[in-house]
Amino acid sequence: MAKKRKHSETAAAAVKPDDSAPERPKRTLLGFKNKDEAKKEKEKENENENENPNVFFRNKEKVLVTCSRRISYRYRHLMLNLVDLLPHCKKDNKVEAKGSKGTALNELVELKNCSSCLFFECRKGKDLYLWMSKCPNGPSVKFLVNAVHTMEELKLTGNHLKGSRPILTFSSNFDQKPHWKLLKEMITQIFGIPKDHRKSKPYHDHVFVFSIADDHIWFRNYQISCPHSGAQKLDRGDLEKMTLIEVGPRFCLNPIKVFGGSFGGPTLYENPFYVSPNQIRSLEKRKQAGKYAKKVKAKTRRKMHELENPLEVDEFADMWKE
Amino acid sequence: MSKGATMNGKEMEDDDPIVSESESESEEDEDVKLNEPSKTAINNKAGLLDKHGDISWPENIDWIHKLSIDIEQEQEVDVNDDLTRELAFYTQALEGAREALLKFQSMGLPFLRPSDYYAEMVKSDTHMEKVKGRLLAEKKRTEEADERRKSRENKKLAKEIQVQKQRERAKQKKDEIESVKNWRKQRKQSGFAADDKDADFSLAFEEGKSFERSNKKRPGVGPGDRSGGKAKFGGGGGGKGKKGFDKKRERRDSKFGFGGRKGLKKQNTAETTNDFRAFNKNKFSSNKKQKV
Repeated sequence: MAKKRKHSETAAAAVKPDDSAPERPKRTLLGFKNKDEAKKEKEKENENENENPNVFFRNKEKVLVTCSRRISYRYRHLMLNLVDLLPHCKKDNKVEAKGSKGTALNELVELKNCSSCLFFECRKGKDLYLWMSKCPNGPSVKFLVNAVHTMEELKLTGNHLKGSRPILTFSSNFDQKPHWKLLKEMITQIFGIPKDHRKSKPYHDHVFVFSIADDHIWFRNYQISCPHSGAQKLDRGDLEKMTLIEVGPRFCLNPIKVFGGSFGGPTLYENPFYVSPNQIRSLEKRKQAGKYAKKVKAKTRRKMHELENPLEVDEFADMWKE
Repeated sequence: MSKGATMNGKEMEDDDPIVSESESESEEDEDVKLNEPSKTAINNKAGLLDKHGDISWPENIDWIHKLSIDIEQEQEVDVNDDLTRELAFYTQALEGAREALLKFQSMGLPFLRPSDYYAEMVKSDTHMEKVKGRLLAEKKRTEEADERRKSRENKKLAKEIQVQKQRERAKQKKDEIESVKNWRKQRKQSGFAADDKDADFSLAFEEGKSFERSNKKRPGVGPGDRSGGKAKFGGGGGGKGKKGFDKKRERRDSKFGFGGRKGLKKQNTAETTNDFRAFNKNKFSSNKKQKV
């Protein structure tokens, strides 16, 4: 008996590598598709696209949103706000920040069937970095996130439908430099909700603002409010009366690096003006340090000075003494 | 990265980019930039454009897939000026929204949500309630402050008005006296002054006496009687005129009082104490006898 079992195990082991070696055939609605067929079809599709691309384009973007461990509550709320804003995203558990983060995250994204990823990495409980990446083959960008205001803040009084597709507005300086151009494309793909997404709503009642100021990307979200009386017809007057109410969240992205791959790969761009928050803090500390040493130094210097230049003897010193 | 680069403290920006939050977060939002771009920074333009080509969607897809709008920025935004910065973002959003609206209209697609379309919103109702409460509280606070300020101003104004009025009154009085004086002078000058009684005619208040009530005593009226002396004669003429006047009633009224203060009317006056009409000598003597 025992022998037999052993035998079967080895057989299974022998079979396994064979199983894993060929790639799994692609699954379609009607069954499995051979790889070659799939390739052919893709080519066909490409041809089709070349002929009349409007017919076949379908945005199937899915965004994985996750964060590192030990993220602070404010940043976590920011992440949750983004999850609320993007119905085409999947939220995942926290991920350990350090170590082989890149590969693990890539695996996770693939596991979740997503095509892009927003990863909020919190370091030291105070610095928030945002990774924006297109999976599986890049590019990815690392941002430092500044000036965070979440949607929960009571000063932001707007509100809009959950899952309505936003209008993305970009300031014109996105087209000036290649890295901005790349970022714009990534942002449109990640923050734009796919048309006819099943969780999206058929109306458009909010606007996203992506604006470059001071080499940072500023994000704002406004609700569009028109004083029209329910009717769908809007005329010029309504256009003039259109106002916006801020919904939030707010944040400001400072791009640090652009990588060629997803969560890694060759560096394509590096922000030449970037100073890491750690450096800033250390500088601040260094400025404040040495206070005592300075004081002691000043004291000794004064003493030396007094010794070197003694006061002249006053001839009228004992004039009134008698 | 930029580790080798030198920095001096002066380039620290004073204002953090945050709009109106507490100072606690000023540290984390402090934004420092190098003055000069570091020389070693990589900028692989070709690679960037290549990647852009890789990931970008086909050029000629419908706008409805992207929903992206480019807005020209008129001038550089000063990041440290919160107001202008936010205004720039706002105008960008507004222009984008208008443009999008026109596009949607030309395509005949719905744009804003109709007022009878209810669905889940990004912020929950409880949260919106909170927002509303805050707005209301703020409004109330400003209103109260306004009211307080207004009342303070009113008080100040009222004081001024009062002073002015008093001054006016004094002036009027003076004017009137002056006019009377003038009139008398004119009369004297015109001739028929000396022979008339009117020569004596002078007004008391001209000499500065204020008006005084005449101190004449009314005869037959008690010192505290405020009925105008009617009490003694039965002043109750009010509602009973119909019945005709009742002699008995009148008498009683005059005896016991009707109208006015009772207490003082019943007090003795000089007249009543000297009145011995009701006194009977015999009465007392007989009483003594009885006692003994």
